[in-house]
Amino acid sequence: MAFDQSLVGKEFEATAPVTVSAEAIAIFCRALGEDSGRYGRPGPDGSIIAPPSFAVTFRNTDAFFNYTPRFGRGFDAGKEVEFIGPIHAGDEITLTSTVREMYEKTGRSGTMTFVILRSTLTNQHGETVAHVDHRFVHRNPGQGE
Amino acid sequence: MSTAGGKRFEAVEIGEALGPHEIVIDKARAREYAAACGMDSGRFHDDEAARAEGLPGIIIPGNFSLGLLSKLVTDWLGAGAGRLKRIGTTYRAMVFPERPLALHGFITHVEPESRSVEIDVWIENEDNERLVIGTATVEFPAGD
Repeated sequence: MAFDQSLVGKEFEATAPVTVSAEAIAIFCRALGEDSGRYGRPGPDGSIIAPPSFAVTFRNTDAFFNYTPRFGRGFDAGKEVEFIGPIHAGDEITLTSTVREMYEKTGRSGTMTFVILRSTLTNQHGETVAHVDHRFVHRNPGQGE
Repeated sequence: MSTAGGKRFEAVEIGEALGPHEIVIDKARAREYAAACGMDSGRFHDDEAARAEGLPGIIIPGNFSLGLLSKLVTDWLGAGAGRLKRIGTTYRAMVFPERPLALHGFITHVEPESRSVEIDVWIENEDNERLVIGTATVEFPAGD
């Protein structure tokens, strides 16, 4: 295994809270093309809600590489996101991240290592708002990278 | 069928299609999305930096593909009480800007007990190759 297998199960330090601004949500909505009116502008209760996929903008994958050398070119292989509650403007989001799984696959272009890092997003009320499983892949050393 | 108040659970049928919604993401928008997400890797912003990585030019972030497919589902749900509960995506191939893309969805399962619906979602290029595939789950509260 190209990465340290003992990292599976490791929980990284929680990130410092990130305050979600209305402006950040508006910029995200514009870039996404979100124009339904349900997100990024005040709703009936006056709060501004981010589109569900805003949850994936919170990442802590770098924490993984504080514990194991980075090599070659890595790519995002996919995501699994569970949306539990909305993210509002003004929320303070903290991430805790755990290495869930690590495995290798060999294809025509060689062997690659896949890592699944689960990040749990929690707001300032201690409520979990989303789980995001980041699946990233690195081609193993010595295979053309 | 959507109502003025949004999609109702009773109106959902297996085999119903979402889209296709045809789009072209230009480079400026790909960069804008990456910047909005704090994704500062050169592969999302600069053709030269992308080529230095062996890519033909800048690529659309995987998160953007997930966002577009999430939006396909939330647009289908409309303003009703149904909500996107989960989405999972696999990035099978690079998605490049300035190329025609089509967002697709297809209802594969309706579960009356949990009032949930399973949807296959995917992004195709102009050659009908599925670049991104995934599944989504939506749920509807009782009596929506």
